[in-house]
Amino acid sequence: MRNVLRTITAVLLVFVVMGPLFASGAAEADDTIHIALSAPITGDWSEFGINFQRSVELAISELNAQGGILGRQVRLSVGDTQGNPQQAATLAQQWTSDPTVVAQIGPFASGPSMAMQPIFDSAGMVQLSPTASHTEYAGGSRWSFGIVGTQAGEGPFNANYAYNEIGIRNIAILHINNDWGIDTANFFTRAFEGLGGRVTRTEFYFEGESDFTAVLSTLRESGADGLFIASFYNDGAAINIQRDRLGWGVPVIGPTSLYSPQLIALGGSSVEGLFTGTGFFTPDPDPAVRQYVQSFQAKYGALPNFHAALAYDAMKLLADAIERAGSTDSEAIRSAMAETRDFPGLAGSITFTPAGDAVKGYRMLQIRNGEFVVYD
Amino acid sequence: MKLSLFFRRHRIATAVVIALFLVILPQVLTSAYHLRVATLVGIYVLLVSGLNIIIGFTGMFSLGHAAFYGIGAYTSAMLTTMVGWNFWVALPVAGIVAALFGSLIGLATLRLRRVFLAFTTLGFGEIVRILILNLRSITRGPMGISGIPVPKLFGWSFTGRGYYYLILVLATLTVATIYRMYHSRVGRALIAIREDETAAASMGINVFGHKVLAFTMGCFFAGIAGSYFAHFQRFVSADSFANLESFAIITMLALGGTGSIIGPILGSTILVLIPEIFRFLMRYRGVIYGLTLIVVIVYRPGGLANVKGVFEKPKLPKRPGKGRFGFGRRRPAAVTGESV
Repeated sequence: MRNVLRTITAVLLVFVVMGPLFASGAAEADDTIHIALSAPITGDWSEFGINFQRSVELAISELNAQGGILGRQVRLSVGDTQGNPQQAATLAQQWTSDPTVVAQIGPFASGPSMAMQPIFDSAGMVQLSPTASHTEYAGGSRWSFGIVGTQAGEGPFNANYAYNEIGIRNIAILHINNDWGIDTANFFTRAFEGLGGRVTRTEFYFEGESDFTAVLSTLRESGADGLFIASFYNDGAAINIQRDRLGWGVPVIGPTSLYSPQLIALGGSSVEGLFTGTGFFTPDPDPAVRQYVQSFQAKYGALPNFHAALAYDAMKLLADAIERAGSTDSEAIRSAMAETRDFPGLAGSITFTPAGDAVKGYRMLQIRNGEFVVYD
Repeated sequence: MKLSLFFRRHRIATAVVIALFLVILPQVLTSAYHLRVATLVGIYVLLVSGLNIIIGFTGMFSLGHAAFYGIGAYTSAMLTTMVGWNFWVALPVAGIVAALFGSLIGLATLRLRRVFLAFTTLGFGEIVRILILNLRSITRGPMGISGIPVPKLFGWSFTGRGYYYLILVLATLTVATIYRMYHSRVGRALIAIREDETAAASMGINVFGHKVLAFTMGCFFAGIAGSYFAHFQRFVSADSFANLESFAIITMLALGGTGSIIGPILGSTILVLIPEIFRFLMRYRGVIYGLTLIVVIVYRPGGLANVKGVFEKPKLPKRPGKGRFGFGRRRPAAVTGESV
């Protein structure tokens, strides 16, 4: 029966510990501008989440060194979504419950973004996701913005290169079976067929799958003279290694998600000659990009990728919108954000559509001798 | 000793105090975030209590509980967004659909036991996730379902407090139903099956029928939780109902204590609160979560509520050689006539 006492003591202890911690979330009166970042710091997507955090912290330290926003220093709170929609929604509720939070950046994936959206929408807080590309995301709420650019813009760009520059006429498509992969494949198909090309076969794979030989053989037998892969760079590398092993030598093209130094590190010679679009390119001679890449590398000892650059852009864009709004009022920031025209982002300039999606410019890269070079 | 006696003597008073606390809670928790966390606890009370019927009372190891949670959520989400049904109709229907799937799975697999049942339910969980992703024309696949309507009651739309009270009512009904069931003939039969199937059968208990019944009941509550969750989060996608979610539910059950009424409540409360309380630790909060589990399992192998007598009448005598999670002793297959 002493066990009963012990249990009750334990439960009481939990509540005692819990009390002050819950209370510490209360408003701290200060004159900083409080920005929230939601990112998958732990879990399957943690690599992206940590890059988000690094980039946003880098942007904030630069902003603060230049005197902050509206003459006030910027303070960041980082929350972990674990890439889980339910966790993300709880986090959104935490941000909107804190009266000092001015706006929120993130999260990474579309599912968590969609789960957070109703909460930001009813609370009236700007939700600026660097990477969410779900077609219903930005249009789902007047408070939601996405800067990655949708496949509606990227599809035609890739299709045009595939058809006119590389000269592919019959293409096979392999995509990851998630909202993004389906969109990417659909928009590419529409644009490619619009140009007069033919899609011989479309196949998909599930997240976490690692054997692509069966699906690649099917695609090969469809008689394609080119392959479009809508996947992330890690899967992209695995797909190309297996394609190479099958001896299927056709031009391969993919969207911006393939662009990462890791693609070459993992894919080796199999990715040689691969085409990928990008809005951000580490060896870019542009001074702003050079400076960002150098400070990122100096601070964290790693090269940033496209997603990291987008997170940096998101923070700088938000700072710009708050400056233009002239206040930290949510409604004013939202209007300023919606009115953004040709904001010079590292990963392409940003102009919002009425829905809140960014229209972006891209460049085509090719891997030559184990390096990304601008294709021309 | 005295404390437990006190609780036993003043069961009604204790219940009233707890009820009052839960009713007043939203007036104390002024932050919408705290209210949301409290609401999440409620959802998990439904899920864990339901699973407790299956694992805790009947001793069947199901590893696919999130699948029924997902079936309930998708049923309700599809009925309200695509067919235009009312939430109040979709809620019980979601429960019934999940129960239906539960009974079908039960009929097919409940002749298996222990690890074999665990495997099949684990597989079923994965099948449901893959089906949700692949049946694009029905479930919208990986796009998920967004724009799920907010429940309305007499023209009044639910807000944070409304949601809290709704889950409080649902959780209370669930726990009360399970409590009554536990102390009924059916509950006794389930416990008898958990303790010794052969003995139970020889006493005239329909072992297979009761197992299917227990499975169906557990799945019904999961379906109700799913429907509520869909209308609470207003967006559902397959990643909310993956096997990881099943493991989270089992973990809560093991921590709280299987086979008790209060255990699932304790387990879900603590394991929902811990990641939120230790949010400031960022990537180290998983460590706290893990440490809590280790400490509890080492010092209280039966879970926190391994105490008969706080809220339950200790009717069953203490049995020697009871397994860690109350699964009963290991017996040679030949004795139990187990099918493998």
